[in-house]
Amino acid sequence: MLEPIHVALGSLNIATLAPMLIAIVGALSILIIDLAKGGLHKSLYVMIALLFLLLDLGALVDFGGVFLKNGTILGFFDVMLMDGIAILSQIIIVVGSMLFIPLALTSKRFHEYDYPEYFALFMFMIAGFQFMVATDNLIMIFIGLETASLALYTLIALHNRSKSFEAAVKYFTMGALAAGFYAFGSMILYAISGSVEINQIATIMAEDHYRNIGYVLLSMAFMIAAFGFKLSMVPFHTWTPDVYEGSSAALAGYMSIVPKIAAFVVAMRLFEFLVHSGVAWLQVILYIGVVVTMTASNIWALVQSDVKRMLAYSSISHAGFVMAAILIGTTQSNTGLFLYWALFSFTNLGAFTMLWVNRQKNLIAGQSSDHPYEKFSGMVKTMPMAAVMMGLFMLSLAGIPPFGLFWGKMYLIGSAVSSGYTVLALIMALNSAIAGYYYLKLIVFMFMKEPIVGYDQYYFMNASLSLKTIIGIAAVGTIFAVFAVNPLLKVITLFVYNSGY
Amino acid sequence: MELYLYIALFAPLVGSLYSALFSGSPKSQQVGIVASGLLFTSFLSSAILLTYVMSGHTVHVEMMTWMATGDLYIPFGFVVDQVSVVMMMVVTIVSTVVHVYSIGYMDHDKGFNRFFAWLSAFVFSMMVLVMSDNFAGLFIGWEGVGLCSWGLIGFWYHKESATWAANEAFIMNRIADLGMLIGIFLIYWNVGSLQYDVVFAEIGNLQPVIITWIGIFLFIGAMGKSAQFPLHTWLADAMEGPTPVSALIHAATMVTAGVYLVVRSNAIYDLIPNVGIFIASLGAFVALFAASMALVNRDMKRIIAYSTLSQLGYMFVAAGLGAYWVALFHLMAHAFFKALLFLGAGNVMHAMHDELDPFKMGGLRKVMKGTFVMMTLASVALAGIYPFAGFFSKDLILEVGFVEHHYVIYTVLLLTAGLTAFYSFRLVALIFHGEERYKLFGIHPHEAYKFMLVAMSPLLVLAIIAGSFKMTYFQLVMNLLPATQYHVHDQTTYWIMTIGTQLFVIAAILFAYKKYANWSNVPDGSSAMERSFFYKLLWNQYYIPKMYEEIFAKPYAELSRIAWKQIDLKIVDATVDAIANGIYKTGENTRDIQNGNLSTMLRWMVVGLVVLSILAVAFTVGYNAVGA
Repeated sequence: MLEPIHVALGSLNIATLAPMLIAIVGALSILIIDLAKGGLHKSLYVMIALLFLLLDLGALVDFGGVFLKNGTILGFFDVMLMDGIAILSQIIIVVGSMLFIPLALTSKRFHEYDYPEYFALFMFMIAGFQFMVATDNLIMIFIGLETASLALYTLIALHNRSKSFEAAVKYFTMGALAAGFYAFGSMILYAISGSVEINQIATIMAEDHYRNIGYVLLSMAFMIAAFGFKLSMVPFHTWTPDVYEGSSAALAGYMSIVPKIAAFVVAMRLFEFLVHSGVAWLQVILYIGVVVTMTASNIWALVQSDVKRMLAYSSISHAGFVMAAILIGTTQSNTGLFLYWALFSFTNLGAFTMLWVNRQKNLIAGQSSDHPYEKFSGMVKTMPMAAVMMGLFMLSLAGIPPFGLFWGKMYLIGSAVSSGYTVLALIMALNSAIAGYYYLKLIVFMFMKEPIVGYDQYYFMNASLSLKTIIGIAAVGTIFAVFAVNPLLKVITLFVYNSGY
Repeated sequence: MELYLYIALFAPLVGSLYSALFSGSPKSQQVGIVASGLLFTSFLSSAILLTYVMSGHTVHVEMMTWMATGDLYIPFGFVVDQVSVVMMMVVTIVSTVVHVYSIGYMDHDKGFNRFFAWLSAFVFSMMVLVMSDNFAGLFIGWEGVGLCSWGLIGFWYHKESATWAANEAFIMNRIADLGMLIGIFLIYWNVGSLQYDVVFAEIGNLQPVIITWIGIFLFIGAMGKSAQFPLHTWLADAMEGPTPVSALIHAATMVTAGVYLVVRSNAIYDLIPNVGIFIASLGAFVALFAASMALVNRDMKRIIAYSTLSQLGYMFVAAGLGAYWVALFHLMAHAFFKALLFLGAGNVMHAMHDELDPFKMGGLRKVMKGTFVMMTLASVALAGIYPFAGFFSKDLILEVGFVEHHYVIYTVLLLTAGLTAFYSFRLVALIFHGEERYKLFGIHPHEAYKFMLVAMSPLLVLAIIAGSFKMTYFQLVMNLLPATQYHVHDQTTYWIMTIGTQLFVIAAILFAYKKYANWSNVPDGSSAMERSFFYKLLWNQYYIPKMYEEIFAKPYAELSRIAWKQIDLKIVDATVDAIANGIYKTGENTRDIQNGNLSTMLRWMVVGLVVLSILAVAFTVGYNAVGA
C-alpha cells in the first residue's frame, strides 16, 4: 500500500509560476474570446497580449525586488529557480516581446494576423521561454524549449508564403535533430550523476573528481550541438539565413533576440561550471566556436546582396561575440552579456522593423529578393527621416560611439582583456571592424547613390503609427543608451553577482 | 549672480538653436527678432554682472565635470572677473547691435534663418572663450569661434571665393592652434592643472626656459586668431563674408581673442620680458605693414580689414610691453568704432549693390546722410582725434612705447597713426565726397533702413565717449592686471607729444581730403603712380599671398599628389584592397555551405557533432594517458 504523499501547499511556492501563468492565461483568454465571438480586429488581440505582457513584467519586477532582498527563490519541488539571471533574462524576453507585438498593427493586411491563434501561440511561446530560463532542471528546460520552439515554427509558417513554409519545415526538422541531441546529452548526464538538476550534477561531478570525464565530454558534445543550433553557432547555423528570409522581417528580428537570450541563459547554467572547473576541452571548443562563429558569419555577411540576409548573418556574428562571455565566465563578462543583449534588442529590432515597414507584397521586375541593397539606394532623397533612422541603427550595430551597441562591445571586450583573453579581445575588435564594412555599405547605398525608380513606392508603405512608435522607441533607446549604460550596469551586476555567476 | 552668469552665457546658445530649428525653412523675420532679443538679454545680464564686479566681487562657478581621469581633472568652470566682464560687455554690446542690424542687412537673403543660427552660435563660443576659468574651456571657445567664423565667411557657399576664403581662414587658424595646443600641453605637463588660478600661482616655480616656450607657443595661437604676420593673409580674404560678420567677428571680437589670451596670461608674460619685446616689435611691424597695404587698396572692406590688422598690432605692442590694461582698453574702444565703421560700410555696399571699389562711388553724402555722419565720426575716432575714443586708447599706447624707452616702436606707431588717418579719410573722401561717379555705372543708391541706423547709434555714442570711462575702467581692471600708470613725467614733453601727434594726424586727414575729395575719374592702372614700384608692391600685398602660393601651397600640393599617387594608391590602398579582397573571396568561396538544401544542412549539423565527439574522445584518451 502506497503511502499517500503529503505536500504542504506553502512549500510549493506556487508564486514562482506566476509570470509564466500570466502569459498562459493571456493565451487562453485570447482563445476564449475568439470562441465567444470570432472575426474581431487584430488590434484587440494586440492590446490583450500587451496587457498580459505588462502584468508579466510587473510580476518579474516584483520578483526582482524579492530576489534582491532574500536571494534566490525556489519553488515547486525546486524545479522552479528564480535567480538573478532568470529574472533578468525574463525581463529582456518580455520587453522584447512587448516591442514586437505592436508590429502586428501594420497598415497592410497580412495573413497571419487574421488568426487569433497567432497571438495565443505567441503568448504560449513566451511562457515556454520563461520556463526555459527559470529552472535548472534539464527536463524542465527541455519542456520549455520545445513549447517555445513548436509555437515558433507555427508562427513562421503562418506568414503564408512558400518561403515561409520552407523555412518552417527546415527549422522544424533541424530543431527536431537538435532536440534529439539535447535528449542524448541529458541522458548521459543523468547516467553519470543520477540527477537532472544542473547544480546537483555539478556537485556530484566535483565530488568524484570528474572520474567519468569521457562521458561528461560526450554529453557536452551533444549539448554544444543542441545549443549551437539554438544560438546558431557555426556549423549549426545553416538554418538561420533561410529561416530569417522566410519569416516576416518583424519575426526575424524577434528571433534574433528573444530565443537567443533564453538559450544563452541555459548555456550559462550548463557550461560555466565546467569552464570554471578547468575542463580544458570545453574551453578550447568554446574558444574555437566563438572565433569561428563570429568571423565566418561576418565574412558571409559581407557577400550578401540582400539586407535581411546580411542582418541574419550579422545576428549570428553578434551571437558569437556574446558567446565569448560564457567562455570568459566572469561576473563582468556575464554582466556584459546581459548589457549587450539588452542594447542589441533595441537596435536590432529597430533595424528589422525598418525592413518590415518597407515590406512589399510583390517583387518588381529584376528584383531578386525582398530587401536587396538596391532597394535602399538614394533613400535619403526620397525618405530622409527613414534613411537617417536606418543609418542610426546600422551605426549602432557597427559599434560606433556613442550609440547603444558600442557600450556593449566595449564592456565585453573589456571583460575579455581583464580576464587575460587578450587575443580573443583582439579578434573581437577585428571582427567589429569587418562588420563595419557591411553596415556602412547600406549607409553608402542610402546616402550616396541615386534612387532607383520603382522602389520608392514601397518605402513606408507598411508603416502605421504603432510601427513608427516602435521605431521611435528603438531609436531613442539607441541614441540615449549613453545615459542608461551606467545605471543599467549597476542593476545587472547586482543581479548577476547575487546569482553566483 | 550665478543665474545671470548662466543667462549671459546660454542665451546666445538658445538663440542659435532656435534659429537652427528654422534653418531649413524660408526666411521668417521673427527668427532674427528672437535671436536679437536673447542677445539683448545676455547683454543685460552682463551689465548686471558688471555692476556686481565693480562693487568688488567676482563670480566663479563650476557647472559640471568635463573630464576626470586619473590626475586629469577639467571642469566646465566659468569665471566673471574684472577682465572677463569687460570682454563680455564688448562682445554682448557689439553682437546685439550686429544682430539687430543684420535683420535689415540680410533682409533679402535666402539663408536669413541660417545666418542667425551661426551668428548666435558664434557669440556663444566667444562667451565660452572669455568666461572659461581654464585653458581647456578657453580652447573649446577658441575652436568654436573658429568654426563659426568658417561657417560665416563661407556663408554664401555657392561663391567659389567665399568658400576658399573660409577654408583659408580655418586652415591658417588650425596651424596656429597647433602651437596653442602645444602651449597648453606644456602647461599641463609642468603644472599639472589648467585652471587659471593654479597655473598663474605656480608658473613662477618653473624654469625660465619652459616658461619661455609656453609663452611662445601660446602666442603662436594668438597670432593665428589675431592674424599677425605671417599668418595675416586670411583676415583680408575673410571679407568675403556678409558685412555684419566682418563687423562682429573680424573687427570687434574674434580677432581680439589673441590679445585677450595674452592679457589673460599676463602672469606668464610678465616673467618673460624678452618674448614680450618680440610681441611688441611684431605688433609695431604689423601696425605699419598693414597700414601701408591699406593705403592703395581699392576694396572698401579690405581697407577696413587692414586697418583692423594694424590696430591689432597696436594692441600687441601694449600687451607685449606689459601694459595689459592699455591693450584691453584699446581692444574695447577699437571694437566700438571699428564695428561702426564696418556696419557703415555695409550700408554703403547695400546702396551700391555690392560694389566695393570706393573709386566708383563718390558724393554719396547727399543720399546717405546718416551713414556719412557715422562713418566720418568712426574714422575720426579711429584716427585718434580728441575727444573721441581712439585718442584715449591709441595715444596711451604711444605713451607706453615712449615711457618704456622703446623709441623705435614709438616712431613706427606715430608714423602709423598718420597713415591710419590718411587711409581712413581717403576712404571717407572717396565714398562720400566729390563727383557722383556711380552714375557712370547706373546705380541708384539709397539709405539703409531707419532701424539699422538706430541700431548702430549705440556704437556711435560709445565711439565718441568711450574714452571718458578710462579711469573707471582702470580702477576696475587693476584688481587683476598690473596697475602701472604710464605718464610722461615732463609736462612739456607730454604736451609737445600730444599736440604734435594731433597736428600730425590732422595734417594727414587734410592731405587725404585735399587729394581725394574732388576725385573725378575711375583709375584704370595707367597713371604714373599706379605703375610705380611701391604702388605695385603694396597693391600686391608685398607679394606675400603669391609667395605662400609658391613656397607652401604648390610644393605641398605636389607632395600630396605624390603621396596620393605613389604611396597611397600603390602601397596603402593596394594592401587594404588585397586584404579586403581576400576576405571577400573567402566569403564567396565558402557560401556554398549555405545552399538551402535541407539534407546538406542536417549533414552539417551531424558533421559538427561527430567532430565534437571525436575531439571529446581524443581528449579523454590523451587525458587518461597523461593522468596514468
